[in-house]
Amino acid sequence: MNDFQVVVDAVHKGDIKTAVAETQKALDKGADVQEFLDKALIATMDDVGENFSKGITFVPQMLRSAKTMQECMKLLASSFQEGAVKSKGKVLIGTVKGDLHDIGKNLVAMMLEGAGFIITDLGVDVHPDKFVHKAQEIEPDIIAMSALLSTTMPSMPLTIEALEKAGIRDKVKVIIGGAPVTGKYAKEIKADSYGSDAGASVNLAKSLLGLS
Amino acid sequence: MKKNRPLFRQLTPKQVRQIDENGRRILEEIGIHIVGDTVFDRLHKAGVDIDYDNSRVRFSSDCLSKLINHAPPRFTLFSQDGRNDLQMGKGNVYFGNGGRVFRILDMNKGGGYRYTLLKDVINTAILVDHLEYIRFYIIACQAHDLGPEDYHLKDFFCAFNHTTKHVMGGCDDVQGAEHVWKLASLIAGNESRLRERPFVSVITNMTSPLTCDANTLNILDYCTCRGIPVTCAPAPIASATAPATLAGTLSLMHAEALAGVAITQALTPGAKVLYGAVPATMDLRTMEYTMGAVEMGMMNTSAVQLAKLYNLPIYASGGLTEAKRPDIQAGFEKLFSNVTVAMAGADYIHLAAGLMDSGNSLSYEQFVIDNELIGMIHRILTGIRVDEETLGFDVISSVGPGGNYVMEEHTINHMHDEYFYPNLCVRSNFDVWEEKGHPDMLTKAHEIVEKILVKGRESRLEPDLIKRITKVFPAILETL
Repeated sequence: MNDFQVVVDAVHKGDIKTAVAETQKALDKGADVQEFLDKALIATMDDVGENFSKGITFVPQMLRSAKTMQECMKLLASSFQEGAVKSKGKVLIGTVKGDLHDIGKNLVAMMLEGAGFIITDLGVDVHPDKFVHKAQEIEPDIIAMSALLSTTMPSMPLTIEALEKAGIRDKVKVIIGGAPVTGKYAKEIKADSYGSDAGASVNLAKSLLGLS
Repeated sequence: MKKNRPLFRQLTPKQVRQIDENGRRILEEIGIHIVGDTVFDRLHKAGVDIDYDNSRVRFSSDCLSKLINHAPPRFTLFSQDGRNDLQMGKGNVYFGNGGRVFRILDMNKGGGYRYTLLKDVINTAILVDHLEYIRFYIIACQAHDLGPEDYHLKDFFCAFNHTTKHVMGGCDDVQGAEHVWKLASLIAGNESRLRERPFVSVITNMTSPLTCDANTLNILDYCTCRGIPVTCAPAPIASATAPATLAGTLSLMHAEALAGVAITQALTPGAKVLYGAVPATMDLRTMEYTMGAVEMGMMNTSAVQLAKLYNLPIYASGGLTEAKRPDIQAGFEKLFSNVTVAMAGADYIHLAAGLMDSGNSLSYEQFVIDNELIGMIHRILTGIRVDEETLGFDVISSVGPGGNYVMEEHTINHMHDEYFYPNLCVRSNFDVWEEKGHPDMLTKAHEIVEKILVKGRESRLEPDLIKRITKVFPAILETL
């Protein structure tokens, strides 16, 4: 039995109201923020992720859980800034230039956030320069690019080129995804990796950063 | 399972009437030839017109209606454990396999074919027991490793011991039926319990055209007297044992099926009986018997309408194919008849799982594949729920233009009840499919077969009960 069982259950269920209220209670009582994050939120999302890969939990439920976690994280935000807790890493994400499709990209962002990453979402139709500027500003560990159309996929290598020109390509891992994107294509354009679906992206991001 | 109004009709109401009138005329003017005279007196007492010189029975319109009126419009085909009881005549559609197959495609022998054995009776029973949408088990095949002695004791015992779903099978003679009855009584506890909740039923057949042999009558008599549900199903073949025209074959089949019902009611008023239909065609280019023909599905779909004209539950046929392997041809031939017969509202669709090769061959993998196809058909039968909740105005309003519905409560509330989630159909994206080594349906089905057969081996009957059974019938020991 976990000390934060009520929050754990609420995150499992995707019950935002209860989860947020209980998180506030825990903080008011002076709970250790790192312990709360690890035991109540991240461990639960790991559970949810495992159930998802077994086919027990469906995507909408998993995203609800992730969203619930996200809302709880907002309450912990002040502690983040004070350096009381560690995040898994920073991810800069966006749909590439010319492409307006964002459901898949949003799913990946949500899943990564649920897994403990800090997400900066640039939205859709993101110009290579915009990726570069933001990357220079926030120094992400990972840049994640999405494309739904085979016609917009060439924006991916263009963005990678722009990162190279700016001299920051070797400071970040680049991952790509989207319906027409393949592992083979990722190799061709020298991206670091490729995720076949939103579920795969979490493990992908963790393994690229050497996290378990 | 939901109640389904018929979603599809092959015949117009006028066509149904025309075929029905023609069928009744056949029974009134031509009649049925009965081989052997053991039941003539009882049929005569029930008002059937007997032509003793020519061994012919004819049914006047009044007599036919009166007899058919005795047949129960609704009854239950029970399962051993009560978890798969099948309600006949209440608008439900149930699919099951078919029987008397002699050949099997054995994926463990490099995909070769061999004659079926007792172990195939056992394995198919295990498969049906585990497959959600295959709701009853018909003794699937001939056990070529069994001698004729005590044959039905052994094959029915293996069925009862490996599935608790309703078991149906054919009997070669009255002694076979007697063995089945005694065996089932032991399992039920006693004879009156079996009569109350019969978890076994017996298939007999009319011989087209217009013939019923003494053996069939004796089995019908034996079973109906003891409360065992039956069918007496004609299997006319258009252009061979029935007219070339579908309307002609349907008329003949209808006459024979009604005669089967009427005869059971003359022998045992109120007997539980299913209107039987196994119509098929010949390919006149070669004189091949073709159960997988598209016309087979059309005729079975029509047969449902003919049975329902009399409020009789129907034992219909569907899901047959001429293909020799679980392939593309098998997929679409099976789908045609299964979906149309089901959408017509057939109570009991047999032959619908596991069969290939015009009903001569079976494949374990085909059982698993058909289970999924039948699951999808049930999704069609369930229909589209339309009410305030499912119309979803509120969620459309709250998401608004440009949003998405993935995480909405409404989505989570309905993600299980709106969709059928297939296990076999390959749905993964292209890369995952490549990573996994290009899985296809047949290889996935084979994996599922292996899993089910490994975990489903143990007996369904209690060890003590098996001891009592083998004490009465020592021959059964040979099967254990």
